[in-house]
Amino acid sequence: MSERGLANRSAAEAPAAAASAAGDAPVVRLQDVSKSFGDHHVVREVSLDLRAHEVVSIIGPSGAGKSTLLRCINFLEPPTSGTVSLDGRVICQERDRHGRPSRKELTELRRAIGMVFQGFNLFPHLTVMRNLTLPQERVLGRSRAEAEQRGMELLERMGLADKAGQMPGRCSGGQQQRVAIARALVMDPRVMLFDEPTSSLDPELGAEVLAVMRSLAEGGMTMVVVTHEMHFARDVSDTVVVMADGAEIESGRPEEIFGAPKTERTQRFLSAVMDR
Amino acid sequence: MVGAIYSNWLEWLPDQLDGLFVSVQLTAAILATGLPLGVLLALGVASPAKPIRWAALVVVELGRGTPAFVILLLVYYGLPQVDVLIPAFACGVIAFGLAMGAYTSEVFRAAFGAVGKVQREAADAVGLTGFDAFRYVTLPQALRIATPALMGWAILFFQATSLCFTIAVPELMTTAYNQGSVTLDFIGAFALAGTLYASISIPASYLVSRLERRLDQQGQGARPRSRRWLRGARTPAPSEG
Repeated sequence: MSERGLANRSAAEAPAAAASAAGDAPVVRLQDVSKSFGDHHVVREVSLDLRAHEVVSIIGPSGAGKSTLLRCINFLEPPTSGTVSLDGRVICQERDRHGRPSRKELTELRRAIGMVFQGFNLFPHLTVMRNLTLPQERVLGRSRAEAEQRGMELLERMGLADKAGQMPGRCSGGQQQRVAIARALVMDPRVMLFDEPTSSLDPELGAEVLAVMRSLAEGGMTMVVVTHEMHFARDVSDTVVVMADGAEIESGRPEEIFGAPKTERTQRFLSAVMDR
Repeated sequence: MVGAIYSNWLEWLPDQLDGLFVSVQLTAAILATGLPLGVLLALGVASPAKPIRWAALVVVELGRGTPAFVILLLVYYGLPQVDVLIPAFACGVIAFGLAMGAYTSEVFRAAFGAVGKVQREAADAVGLTGFDAFRYVTLPQALRIATPALMGWAILFFQATSLCFTIAVPELMTTAYNQGSVTLDFIGAFALAGTLYASISIPASYLVSRLERRLDQQGQGARPRSRRWLRGARTPAPSEG
């Protein structure tokens, strides 16, 4: 396992782990983050530290709150309670009367954190290249020429340079997801969030996407990945977080989680998914 | 002695074409007023701010619940009563623009809904502001979804401009009425006017049904933007938006 990331532990529970990472302050820190929809508690007081170049995989059964937790990190779902810190600064604490954080802080947060969705969520009315240039121009203030140059760099890296002028609907699912990854990367984010990026793809197309994610991880990208791809979680992650019923039930290095899970719930989950 | 229905058509045609041109201008002005109003009302009805939501709802319900002809007469005869004097053409634009805004707001509301939350989330996730997300992501897709229905409304309002005959706008129906009054050949005059209305409406209706079929076949996101392929499709080059 790589030295890139140090152990990721609950901020409240793992001072030792934090100490071991002395001088390596978390880029993103979640403290006691909870999210409820009415009376339905989807995420319950989850804490998480994410350090530079670290890859954290969040695994667990469906309905465990993994995706919601991920969406709390970039405030697509503003947490009901708890805090999200970026570079040690708590963000989006001030809310308007509708409970929404300030637009300026949100933009700052989302410039730093890119996200890839399960359903790709490309803009279907724009060409592949325009999907990549629009956010650069509007959010980063790059010129069209700069944005296209950067976009083409990323498309070449994804092996999709020939798709620049095509509409996303004309691309395969795997290609669309790689375009979505490129769209997030053109913004030069410091952290990438992946929400089950291969779940809507068949295994062959999913493998294309996983290969891109592996190369990103090897390149030192800081990543949080919600996934059902256990091989990816085991081989690529620095830390694996297991969630069930909205709570973190266990976290640790992949060899600990997959080799000697501590909780019965983790054992049951892993035995169900690894035997498939 | 009544001649053939078309016996005066050649003589009347130039004036009726002038009238048709006014009808088309009126329709264009109504569209230019009604469509943006429809977008604003759709946004207003979905606003989280109660006063805006209620105000938009009142305009939509009144606009949809009141016959367009009544609104036309209210504007034309009502505004001078409060010392607001505006030309008849403008009265037609205001009245029908209001009615069109109310009707098309429902079309836009449905189209915004059809674009879906995931697209707004994708725009949010890349850091676009709410306005940019609306301008570059939601609105273009909603317009494409709404285009067949909006074209249907445009055809209806083009035909409804004939009601402006009652407020002396020199459009096609007014011209036909004047010609009928002079010659007492109302059948011939109105038949020619009807033919001219149909010469616009029928091809437009055909275009709408082709558009609908094309959208049904291709599904969302499978092809270039609607305005481009209305002009003749080509896949945009990478540098295009």
